[in-house]
Amino acid sequence: MKRSLFALMAVLTVLSMVLAACAPAATQAPASAATQPPAATAVTNPTATIAPPKSADAVKIAFWHSMAGDIGGKAIPTMANEFNASQDKCYVEPIYQGSYDDSLNKLKAGLQSKDTPAVVQLYDIGTRLMVDLKVITPVQDFIDKEGYDLSDLEPNVLAYYTVDGKINSMPFNTSTPMLYYNKDLFKAAGLDPEKPPRTFVEFEEAARALTTKEGDKTTVYGGAFAIYGWFFEQFLAVSGGYYVNNNNGRDGYATEATFNSPEGVAIFDWWKRMVDEGILANYGRKTVDTRNAFIAGQTAMFIDSTAVLRGVMDSVAGKFEVGTAYLPRPNEAAYETAGTIIGGGSLWIINNRPQEEQDCAWEFIKFQASPAQQSYWQTMSGYFPIRKAAYDEQLTKDWVAKYPQFQTAIDQLHIAPNNRVTQGGLIGVFPTARQTIETAIEELLAGKGTSQEILDKAAEAVTQSLSEYYVSMGIQP
Amino acid sequence: MNQSHLLRKRLLAILAYAVMIIAALIVIYPIYSAVNISLLKDTEVAQYPPRLFPSSLNLANFTRALEQAPLPRYLLNSIIQSLLVMIGQLITASLAAYAFAFLNFKGRNFFFLVFMATMMIPWEATIIPNYLTIKQLGWTDTFQGLAVPFLATGFGTFLLRQFFLKIPRDLYDAAVMDGCSNFRFLTTIVVPLARPALGTLAVYSFLQTYNQYLWPLLITNDESMRTVQIGIALLQDEERLMFNTVLAGVVIILIPTFLLFIFSNRQLIRGLTAGAVKG
Repeated sequence: MKRSLFALMAVLTVLSMVLAACAPAATQAPASAATQPPAATAVTNPTATIAPPKSADAVKIAFWHSMAGDIGGKAIPTMANEFNASQDKCYVEPIYQGSYDDSLNKLKAGLQSKDTPAVVQLYDIGTRLMVDLKVITPVQDFIDKEGYDLSDLEPNVLAYYTVDGKINSMPFNTSTPMLYYNKDLFKAAGLDPEKPPRTFVEFEEAARALTTKEGDKTTVYGGAFAIYGWFFEQFLAVSGGYYVNNNNGRDGYATEATFNSPEGVAIFDWWKRMVDEGILANYGRKTVDTRNAFIAGQTAMFIDSTAVLRGVMDSVAGKFEVGTAYLPRPNEAAYETAGTIIGGGSLWIINNRPQEEQDCAWEFIKFQASPAQQSYWQTMSGYFPIRKAAYDEQLTKDWVAKYPQFQTAIDQLHIAPNNRVTQGGLIGVFPTARQTIETAIEELLAGKGTSQEILDKAAEAVTQSLSEYYVSMGIQP
Repeated sequence: MNQSHLLRKRLLAILAYAVMIIAALIVIYPIYSAVNISLLKDTEVAQYPPRLFPSSLNLANFTRALEQAPLPRYLLNSIIQSLLVMIGQLITASLAAYAFAFLNFKGRNFFFLVFMATMMIPWEATIIPNYLTIKQLGWTDTFQGLAVPFLATGFGTFLLRQFFLKIPRDLYDAAVMDGCSNFRFLTTIVVPLARPALGTLAVYSFLQTYNQYLWPLLITNDESMRTVQIGIALLQDEERLMFNTVLAGVVIILIPTFLLFIFSNRQLIRGLTAGAVKG
């Protein structure tokens, strides 16, 4: 017992030492590891590290974000370094806090003990909750104080984060969903690859034409939708439907879910009809599974965020030609009256931090919103720039030239009218509502009722959680 | 007669091996699959039908995983945290289990029930109070903050107590009669006899701690104090999820658990045979 336990610990300790030697900036290494000389060369390029502050007097602020991969590992540290180098009053330190949900939970826990950041990135659907929690200083306060010019910022993007007449948080990473399609399969099916479907009916017809079978086995599905609540919200918006009452909760608190409207039912009917016919595949809730099916050539069309374009292009790597198109609308007329809702995340300033930290938070937010930074951000992440001037930056020009499919994303944002429908629903229980919708879609596809019945049940559940939310938050809607 | 008996024996052996090979394949497959995918090129990940073998020894994903997350540092932290918790649990659980198994004191059963009751409290219910305590002690971003809340274990105490109860009471009586102290009896007689149980608890507590995500995320902000599961989350970019990179990260963090398994496996078997000749 003792001997082999000892051996195990010895091996693990030696491993620890080796690791400590490889680890950059091992500040808290235990005594045994600290005595090891640092490795002469790192194994690989180290993760983009945050340079130390230029001045010891700089106000340090924490920036919590939920960006993983290259975006969190490279783009965000680079932005932070550039901000820190651009002036010497403020010093921002980005910290990854897991998913948006993890980050929100950590924020809630931290509020009691003042373990909070000056800036936190949260998802679009946390907007109402963040305002209701009363833990933030609206960026509008800073905008008004210094007369910050908003004219260059995308109005639709700002409108999403405007609550009670104030811009509460600064948009950071924004996207909309669009249609991706395989041009080679379009040609093979005798469809015009330059004329992607624009309406629900055209989509259905294209999906039917694109579906190929060998005997009883479907080798290519015409289309595929991931079971993702966000897609339903978007289809509802392009149909001109409201998610909740009081004009999507934007003219007063929403008290009732209204997505069980004829528009919602039509979407459900359409979705179910195509799955039943075997022309629309269902790869479950994870969007990445549907994306991979498209990349593997198993499905000819799919819906996903504009932000995944680069990933799709890199993975397809020229095996076939990728086309992008607007999210299908119920009919042509809908292009004039309705549009997609912007999604993504925004930056919030937390109000329990000292004033000087909040001021620095605003400085950082302004910095990231500058055309050069937005252009860099867009090319690294695939999200839209939040301001128009970014399109004049060479980086973005080159990027759009390299990925012409991105133009669709930009155009789709610009053609969308700015109204209560395209601003999207504003409720404090959005994550729950989204899950409710996802369960509803699963029930729909499993044939557990009619579209109307299933949507009525889902709407009732969302209305119920809304009223519970108001009670728990002490809000009189 | 004799021949057919031999044949039957052989057939049985073949059957047994076949079953074992199938079982082994089932166990190995996920690990093989992880290694396989971690070696695939970006264009091969979403291929259909899926590739069962990588086309080349492509280590680009490992480089990328190490670029995106400081995994070596995270590994070190996780190993230290898990070892601290493992050793702590072995000590506290064996001491507590010893008391419950061998000592007679007032309220023994009551206290044992209280211990058992702690197993019923879901971890989610205690995480916020624990967080506030650690925060108040100023232990955020420290190893004690990572390890201390897990040093006592109701499950471990229960596991060891049940095992200790199987050790003949006569041994204890004889030892006490010879003037052996409780501590000496525990360290020289009980612990060597309870190897399998201690080994099980060691592996269990190490893996439990190694797999933690929410707790390290809550109490650390300093990158140099974070642990492997956060590193894996850091690789999972929602918009551009690269399974090959994520699995390269997974393969890297599997190494310590593999080592643990190799050592504990021998340990557990040796423990079992040691137990067989006791008495």
